[in-house]
Amino acid sequence: MIFNTFSYYLFFLIPAAALYRLLPARMRPWVIAIFGSSFFLYFAYSMAGIWGSLCLIIFIWESLVSRLYRPASRWCFVGMAQSLIFLGIFKYWNFFTGLLFLHRANPVRWQGAFLPLGISFFTFEFYHYAWDRRAGKTEAGSLSEYLAFILFFPTLVAGPIKRYQDFLPKLRANPTDWCRDWERGITRILTGLVKKFAIADLMTAWTNHLNAHDLAIADRRILPLWLLAYGVKIYFDFSGYSDIAIGSARLFGIAVPENFDWPYGRRNIQQFWRCWHISLMNWLRDYVYIPMGGSRVVPWHIYANIIVVMLISGLWHGAGLNFIVWGLWHGLLLSGHRLWRRLRGVPSNHPLALLSSSALTFVLVNAGWAFFCMDLPTAMLYFRRLLVG
Amino acid sequence: MTLSTIRAALEYIGGECDVAPAFLPGRSLWIIRCTVWIVAILLIYAFSGQTSKFIYIDF
Repeated sequence: MIFNTFSYYLFFLIPAAALYRLLPARMRPWVIAIFGSSFFLYFAYSMAGIWGSLCLIIFIWESLVSRLYRPASRWCFVGMAQSLIFLGIFKYWNFFTGLLFLHRANPVRWQGAFLPLGISFFTFEFYHYAWDRRAGKTEAGSLSEYLAFILFFPTLVAGPIKRYQDFLPKLRANPTDWCRDWERGITRILTGLVKKFAIADLMTAWTNHLNAHDLAIADRRILPLWLLAYGVKIYFDFSGYSDIAIGSARLFGIAVPENFDWPYGRRNIQQFWRCWHISLMNWLRDYVYIPMGGSRVVPWHIYANIIVVMLISGLWHGAGLNFIVWGLWHGLLLSGHRLWRRLRGVPSNHPLALLSSSALTFVLVNAGWAFFCMDLPTAMLYFRRLLVG
Repeated sequence: MTLSTIRAALEYIGGECDVAPAFLPGRSLWIIRCTVWIVAILLIYAFSGQTSKFIYIDF
């Protein structure tokens, strides 16, 4: 829940943002760090109990190790590795060990497994900082500034994924226009809540039917509408969430990256991914795609790079075969689009061509949501019912 | 009115942009902002009973 609870606004956002603006500059990072820690303890406890709250130790450990990072230092590799180890153990241990013991009971299964609050997002910020410190792309900052970066609670749970070199100047600047920041910030928060309450949650009546039982007995003509409802739901849910996060950050006078730029209606899959979950795609571009060679390699290698990046994106979204297939689907679409552009050259700007390519992109993206919102056998049942009957 | 002006207006009304598009009446922008807040609060109140967890919280 979090952003749609009164406690978030009354106990955390409003007091923290007001105090941040009232206190002298040297105290501000500590305001964020203290409120961020309290936020994590409170909501992690409500979601995963005492063990969830204890994961605050990960932040403290990371902030201490981060003091060792220097340009070209091996400690940066340690930092990157430990970020991936945290993510791997909590999120993927049972999934990968389950694959190893496919036809047998998993002897090393972690029975009490849980996901620490926001782990997929904060580990990516840890990784980014270690990488960029090693490359000399960002300054170290003080311990309080780094704690403020990793514990900045408006973006802690589900992004947008920030960059330290963007965040630091805003943290150091004096937020002056209180009135405008709060008016625009509250407007953005209200917009996000309307998207969530009045649109995304309204779709639940249809998306609840995306299960094996309902799919087996439904009239096949209704099936595209259920999936379309999920496409609407996930967009308004996540863009609403991002609006609240960005609006909350604005109350501090801190601008964080945008996550969406009208993705539906884009004319091809490449444009769609430039406008959907922008902060994640930029992270994957900078820390996975470009280090693998990016677009400066032979064509088959580019296609392979794109597919690998989208597979990682799929796996990042969830430890399940359906998410891997979802990533593969988008990897194939992006590679197919790139190949098409290579063969056919610059696309036509005729209105009919624009309309049809936008419609095709929309349909293909929505078809992909089947793998995102259902497990693999259910998604296969969905397509079997839709296409065969 | 083109699609881009509609988009600019929506982005201003939604709090994404700081600068209002030229066609919105500058002197009465505060009326627009108050109306947006009132409508938003009414919508949130009307639909708040059905709320569910944000999807990306679990990722």
